[in-house]
Amino acid sequence: MSYHEATYDEPSIFTFRSGTTYKVPGSVTDSDIDLPQELIRKHLDLPEVSEYDVVRHYTRLSQMNYSVDLGIYPLGSCTMKFNPKYADKIAGMEQFYDVHPLQLASTVQGQLRIMYELQEFLKELSDMDAVTLQPLAGAQGEYTGMLIVRKYFEVKGELNSRTEVIVPDSAHGTNPASAAMAGFNVVEIPSAEDGTVDLEALKAAISEHTAAFMITNPNTLGIFEDHIGEIARLVHEAGALLYYDGANFNGILGITSPGLMGFDIVHFNLHKTFATPHGSGGPGAGPVGVKANLAEFLPVPIIGKDGDKYFLDYSPKHTVGKVSSYMGSFMVLLRAWAYIRFHGSDGLRRNTINAVMNTNYLKKKLENKFKIPYKSLKKHELVLSTENTGKKALDIAKYLIDNGVHAPTIYFPLIVHEAMMIEPTETVSRMDLDRFAEIFLESADVPEEELKKHPVNLPIGRPDDVKAARDLKVRWFPEK
Amino acid sequence: MQSNLEKQEIAKFLNISDEMALFSDIPAQYRKKEIRIQEGVSEYEVLEQARRIASLNSSAGMVNFLGNGIYKRIVPASVDSIIGRSEFLTAYTPYQAEMSQGVLQSLFEYQTFMSELTGMDASNSSMYDGFTTLGEAVRMAHRINERRDILIPENMFDDKLKVINSYLSGLSVRLLTYRVDQVTGFIDLNDIQSKVSKDTSAIVVEMPNSYGIIDENVLKVSQIKGDALLIAYVDPVSLGMLLPPGDYGADIVAAEGQQLGIHMNYGGPGLGILTFRKDYIRKSPGRIIGETVDNKGKKAYVMTLQTREQHIRREKATSNICTNQALMAIASAVYLGVVGPTGLKKIAQTTYVNSRKLKNKLSSLKAAGVPQLTGKPFSDVLIKFRTDVSQLQEFLAEKGINGGVPLQKLAAAPILIRNSAFFTATETTQENETDQLVSIMEVFR
Ligand SMILES: Cc1ncc(COP(=O)(O)O)c(C=O)c1O
Repeated sequence: MSYHEATYDEPSIFTFRSGTTYKVPGSVTDSDIDLPQELIRKHLDLPEVSEYDVVRHYTRLSQMNYSVDLGIYPLGSCTMKFNPKYADKIAGMEQFYDVHPLQLASTVQGQLRIMYELQEFLKELSDMDAVTLQPLAGAQGEYTGMLIVRKYFEVKGELNSRTEVIVPDSAHGTNPASAAMAGFNVVEIPSAEDGTVDLEALKAAISEHTAAFMITNPNTLGIFEDHIGEIARLVHEAGALLYYDGANFNGILGITSPGLMGFDIVHFNLHKTFATPHGSGGPGAGPVGVKANLAEFLPVPIIGKDGDKYFLDYSPKHTVGKVSSYMGSFMVLLRAWAYIRFHGSDGLRRNTINAVMNTNYLKKKLENKFKIPYKSLKKHELVLSTENTGKKALDIAKYLIDNGVHAPTIYFPLIVHEAMMIEPTETVSRMDLDRFAEIFLESADVPEEELKKHPVNLPIGRPDDVKAARDLKVRWFPEK
Repeated sequence: MQSNLEKQEIAKFLNISDEMALFSDIPAQYRKKEIRIQEGVSEYEVLEQARRIASLNSSAGMVNFLGNGIYKRIVPASVDSIIGRSEFLTAYTPYQAEMSQGVLQSLFEYQTFMSELTGMDASNSSMYDGFTTLGEAVRMAHRINERRDILIPENMFDDKLKVINSYLSGLSVRLLTYRVDQVTGFIDLNDIQSKVSKDTSAIVVEMPNSYGIIDENVLKVSQIKGDALLIAYVDPVSLGMLLPPGDYGADIVAAEGQQLGIHMNYGGPGLGILTFRKDYIRKSPGRIIGETVDNKGKKAYVMTLQTREQHIRREKATSNICTNQALMAIASAVYLGVVGPTGLKKIAQTTYVNSRKLKNKLSSLKAAGVPQLTGKPFSDVLIKFRTDVSQLQEFLAEKGINGGVPLQKLAAAPILIRNSAFFTATETTQENETDQLVSIMEVFR
């Protein structure tokens, strides 16, 4: 298969001059505006563009963009699975999107029912006891979790001494960032030889100052932390809380759960595990689940049910307050609800099994040429190192994208040199896995100076990142 | 074992006869015994269920006078069409710039739109929503000057305040409120002046303010702020006709961008807009798109200044934000492209005129106490009543109208305006709807 991405030398929207064609109803004039002149805007330098030009411009731009609907998108840690079209259709129902957040509960029983059912689904899948849907992304879920940790120790009168949050060195950057934003000192511990948490390092780090330990399981190497029971015991014996980063839930969903493993707080990435589209960067949704003893700390409102009526529940006694403007990213929640309803208990579990199968299939193919460190059995993703081939992960990534497949996540986790983190997900055929593996293996044999020339089949060659950071041109200006 | 032939081949390749062998590393005591969720259904069935649940909402057919942050505005069909394109909808963050120039250029244009609209030097490529953006703006101000006090207006909505408080936990920062005049509805400049000190990190102003009023005094805050930073929380549509915050001395601007081509969505997803002076760009949170060239000198776009971000700087990052609201940012760029500057101005002016009409009609009701706030509303109209309004929203909802949110439900309601409620107009508000509201309100006591 030969591949070329559409290429347009597309000018900035700010250079278009075709004249606005959009009709805004009404017949106001400047003289209707009886405000002091100093309040009035004198000029607004936006372009006057016809609607047809705006649509053509952004349609052309869209064609210079790889997406899940074009093929495999195996970004590790991102769970780029197929986004089902029935969910688009449901999110396109006016009765759902044409609803104002300040409406009375009695007029939005449909919204509340969706949210209530989603809370119940997430509780069941994670074996947690209460869920808030308010956080707007995974990182905000983490932050919400850290606020809950703070409040928990504040109520216990221990906040002054519980100042530390421990994270493994394989953790995603948002984990330490969220903990620090909530005012904790971050303590990083090294991983053991096999890539899992080093129990000795954990024991050494844990103390009466520990507020929480944040981990994900399977971890960012795609391997299951089989000492999780011991980890939970150590954390709880120290009086601290165990936090689950749910970004990797797709590797275990339906097989085990954070609740069964002893976690106290968990966030879900609905835009990963539950197939809501990632929108070129967002929006996502990051609901948080907690065990019963932490339910009184959840942000408000959560969605309650009384008989057959749904209501906004403000009862959590020690609520952390609010973490976002309204009730959460409803349209994203709605899509996740649809995904869970469609797949059901049988399908969700099947998806996990298939995702893990695909990962191990790729692993077995790729290990012929690449070093795949740590434990051999993988879950949702695998991390290989390109070091043994003498090639840079970056160069191999560019070779892949030049062949019409998206590259894996590169240089993460930080503990693997020249890391490439590959997450195929369940929604990719063996045919596509084979093609991906073939290009990947081929790249190992391409001479380095050849590799450096890629990409050539895309609208641009390799960009100058240093220049971007030095010039800091972050908006369009007219040519002088 | 599955019936899928490809999967059987994979199992064979992996040398496993039981697919559960792939989970042998998960100790038995952690295995989930059952999943108490119904089995899967067909697409037809899930659509039917969704339709049935949607019909439980009674909003279809109700007239809308709700606002206070989220607004029912016209969404051009072109916006839904573009953000529904799967090339934008189903892509991830543009980690591979060469195969993602489309979204990178779109977000670069978004940054230009937002810089122009707010009159600021630079914009990031989106935040979560309005309130969280204001929370991040306050953190950013504290990061810039490391001072203690943040001054906020006393009429700021409770929920906004709660989100700011969440974003401040762990920082040694103090929120101080300044007064808002109960006759004009303008912020009290003398009170601000008396509270500004060498410890003041930032002064937060809202425009229009939380009483919905276009506040003339906001323009004068820069004269009394000393070297504290000025953070403006603005209504982006109002900037079609009102002076942009860059022109009255703002250092950081935060806004909810839902009004720019995004449906109400029950409050989410919306769009957090964050713009600022260029000097502060390295202290700012979130992703920023920059222009550069490729290896052949061709124009190219990339994510830049990533060394501020969590994946590189980890606990020292300017924010934990990773996933943002890119698609909604594209929506607002398409929106501004389609309506253009004259369209946006007309939308703002129509909103202003409609809210004025609404205010005139409602304030002449018997139940409306005189005098009303003298400041002029932009979109949200606060009406004072002689009687208790705590059940007004319920009263109206029974008659098919969404509106009349009591001030007390949203913010502290000082004595002079205790019995007040909000009614919101936009460019979509029809004369006959206003008349219908007024005639229903005739019998409200
Ligand atoms: C392991 C891990 N944790 C947390 C996050 C943060 O999630 P989000 O991007 O939704 O904020 C991500 C996603 O990038 C992740 O991969």
